[in-house]
Amino acid sequence: MALPDRFRLDDRVVLLTGAGRGLGRAMALAFADAGAAVAGAARTPDQLEETAALVRGQGGRASIIPTDVTDSAAVQAMVDATLAELGRIDVLVNNAGGSAEGDGEPLEQLTDEQWQRGVNLNLTSQMLCARAVLPHMTERGSGVIINVASGFGLRGGRHNWMYVSSKAGVVNFTRSLAVSYGPDGVRTNCIAPGIFPHTEQALARWRGGKYIPVGRVGLAWEMGPLAVWLASDAAAGLNGETIAQDGGGLSAIGPTGWAPVVALEEAD
Amino acid sequence: MADDFIPRPNPEPSDPAFSLEGQAALVVGGGAPLGRAAATALAEAGADVAVATLRAGATELMRVNSVANEVWSLGRGNLALTLDATDPTSVEAAFARVVAEWGRLDILVNAGDAVQAAPLERIDPSTWRAVIDANLLAPTLCCRAAGPRMQAREYGRIINLVSVLASRGVANTAAYAAAHSGVLGLTRALAQEWARSGITVNALQVGFYEGQAGFGDDPQQVEALARMLPARALIDPADVGAAVVALAADSGFITGEVIAVDAAATARV
Repeated sequence: MALPDRFRLDDRVVLLTGAGRGLGRAMALAFADAGAAVAGAARTPDQLEETAALVRGQGGRASIIPTDVTDSAAVQAMVDATLAELGRIDVLVNNAGGSAEGDGEPLEQLTDEQWQRGVNLNLTSQMLCARAVLPHMTERGSGVIINVASGFGLRGGRHNWMYVSSKAGVVNFTRSLAVSYGPDGVRTNCIAPGIFPHTEQALARWRGGKYIPVGRVGLAWEMGPLAVWLASDAAAGLNGETIAQDGGGLSAIGPTGWAPVVALEEAD
Repeated sequence: MADDFIPRPNPEPSDPAFSLEGQAALVVGGGAPLGRAAATALAEAGADVAVATLRAGATELMRVNSVANEVWSLGRGNLALTLDATDPTSVEAAFARVVAEWGRLDILVNAGDAVQAAPLERIDPSTWRAVIDANLLAPTLCCRAAGPRMQAREYGRIINLVSVLASRGVANTAAYAAAHSGVLGLTRALAQEWARSGITVNALQVGFYEGQAGFGDDPQQVEALARMLPARALIDPADVGAAVVALAADSGFITGEVIAVDAAATARV
């Protein structure tokens, strides 16, 4: 297949969690633009409807499935409904997640319930969704899973407990899915987004990207092409990999813009 | 914003997605399997492509000519360049030629792969230097020549191809592995150095691939390697070419990254 076509997703079905807003919505639009039908899941129906309307507005095909992805039975129902409506699932994007109550608090104050909720939201949810779609994908001998982690899945953060632990879990869950189901034709990769502010306040809090090496923040739409690439046949060589899209943050150390000049000491 | 910081300008989505129409690319080591895959993939995505040798040998030049012909047959501008990438004068001339031809350099792919393996006792300083020169000095000099030309237009995509041996150990590959690990350091440092110039610098860490000298060109060796890989097969260079295009077309928020194209080889213990 000629190369531009390898990036296309025509006639593919993408099941995308956390599709109601932010990066999930941006990915939904990009998948539709690449030719895929998008089944969007999230807790809030109103926001899902908005995403679906935007997808349809650009000529795409979308269906919505309000789902609590931390609920095993609801996740199974989500997969069943997608298969019933769209006939197949080529791509699962585990995007739902976020910080939970207790993230940012000293560990001594964290309750068992807060820990469980945070880990359920970011990690258990991805396991539930992967487990529910895998029989379908392995039976067909093809499928793609894309897990969304975070730079905090690769580095620690001050008083950031459930978020860092569950996102690190996502990175390694990705690897084991890749090793276990790669031979069955299922590729699993992971995206670790950096700073993508969704509001003006968040943009201001990040000072417009002053402390990000490339000097700007991430734009939600930039997640689209990366997700489309990983979902497409153009990423056939990638499995088990986590790609950071973070403006160079993770590869840096020291103050932003630090550029020391030091002469090599001559031997005397 | 309370201070005088002005964010870098926001990019626009490319339309159609992953198109490199109107862009100029240089692929160094373009006669080898990964270089050929990168050059033809970039051309398929719409770029004009200069294909350069890594060390200017006669056989290599013949291969580069043939790849440049493939680029031509895809309907794109093409150049075949005799380049010794370990020689700064030769490098400067090649880059000047590309910019003279197309007025710009948007994409640099360092695709040279000079495989060498021997027990350390048999890697004398001159062998060491030759391996380091071909695998590490060459991409360094090419980045050095690309930098100012890309900075002038505040746009650039540099993609360094390295082996999985940059991050995993195999007996007898001390020099080769050290050079490829070095390219990862080069990649991360330059990503920071040029972060505010619109230039991204990334590496694709490629698993053992079909046709790779020493690893992927002997059927018995290929079978032995494939048996221990999760995918039970070596990497198809065409898949590396597709990854090169994905990075070349990226909007600029991915930089300093090392992306494995290895079909889960390094995902496993």
